[in-house]
Amino acid sequence: MYGWIWRHLPGPLAVRVLLAVLLIAAVVALLMLVVFPWLEPMLPFNDVAVGAVLSGAAGTAGTSAASPAW
Amino acid sequence: MGKPSAGTAYVVLRTVGELLVTAGIVVLLFVGYALYVTDLTAANRQRSANNELDQAFSASPMERRRPQLTVGKPFARLYVPAFGQDYQFAVVEGVDREQLATGPGHYPHSARPGEPGNFAVAGHRVGKGAPFRRVDELRSCDAIVVETNSDFLVYRVLPMADERATWEAHQRKDPRCARVPVLSGEYRQVVGRKIVEPDRADAVAAVPYQPKSALPIAQQNALLTLTTSHPEYGNSQRMIIHAVLTDQVGKRGKAGYPTLLRQIGGR
Repeated sequence: MYGWIWRHLPGPLAVRVLLAVLLIAAVVALLMLVVFPWLEPMLPFNDVAVGAVLSGAAGTAGTSAASPAW
Repeated sequence: MGKPSAGTAYVVLRTVGELLVTAGIVVLLFVGYALYVTDLTAANRQRSANNELDQAFSASPMERRRPQLTVGKPFARLYVPAFGQDYQFAVVEGVDREQLATGPGHYPHSARPGEPGNFAVAGHRVGKGAPFRRVDELRSCDAIVVETNSDFLVYRVLPMADERATWEAHQRKDPRCARVPVLSGEYRQVVGRKIVEPDRADAVAAVPYQPKSALPIAQQNALLTLTTSHPEYGNSQRMIIHAVLTDQVGKRGKAGYPTLLRQIGGR
């Protein structure tokens, strides 16, 4: 796969290296800016409050509703 | 040239291998993102929340009016001397994901700082600036300071469950504990640190763990409650820290947190 990409990069070696670095940077940027922010809220250690917080009704006197479960 | 079927198998195997290595790198990148990159975003949001607080506090200094709380807006500052002199976080209103991405969030409808009842705050223990990363290190009588536009409120962590029996001896040894009582009656379940199930909304009730309590407001203790995830990288439980108001120091002139810190002996 990576060999195939490398063979299809145009130009002399220096240009190919530059293009490869740009491609990697683009993929990392896509992950960091789009994919990970979407994925991250599903991590378990984001749940720090007690009670039914996701529904907006924060835990106060007596409303002991079920917590969001992943 | 010309390695027909064996060559195809090799290419397939190599590609699968490359994909697996790539997946591993992506997972590592994600760990870096969740633990560190989210800290950067949170630090930015904390900074602007702190600026907003500075402006609000200097616009109406020492005014003892009950501020209007708006979801997502900062209204107080939280200090924990045990976590270092520079430990401070702007507290915002609300405990949804969006608000907790800025910093510790106040449970709406729970008491205001310094009032009788339960001033309850949730915060991240991992990532997003992790304001509550070290709450498990809090010991009984450690100070948790809340700054409002008029006052510094000093809360101190209540006795741990195993310290209650020998609390008087404890109090003699540590002057900080002089005004930290062992709570009894309706408050008997309220100790310094508890691990509870995630659905225990009553941990932040006015009288914790007694959601149906009919205790009149005037007779309620002024408590502070911190909630965060437990175990550290999981969500199966919640860690709860309960503290009680011991001192209220009005803001006078330029006397800020460093002055207060000296007054309370640095912790």
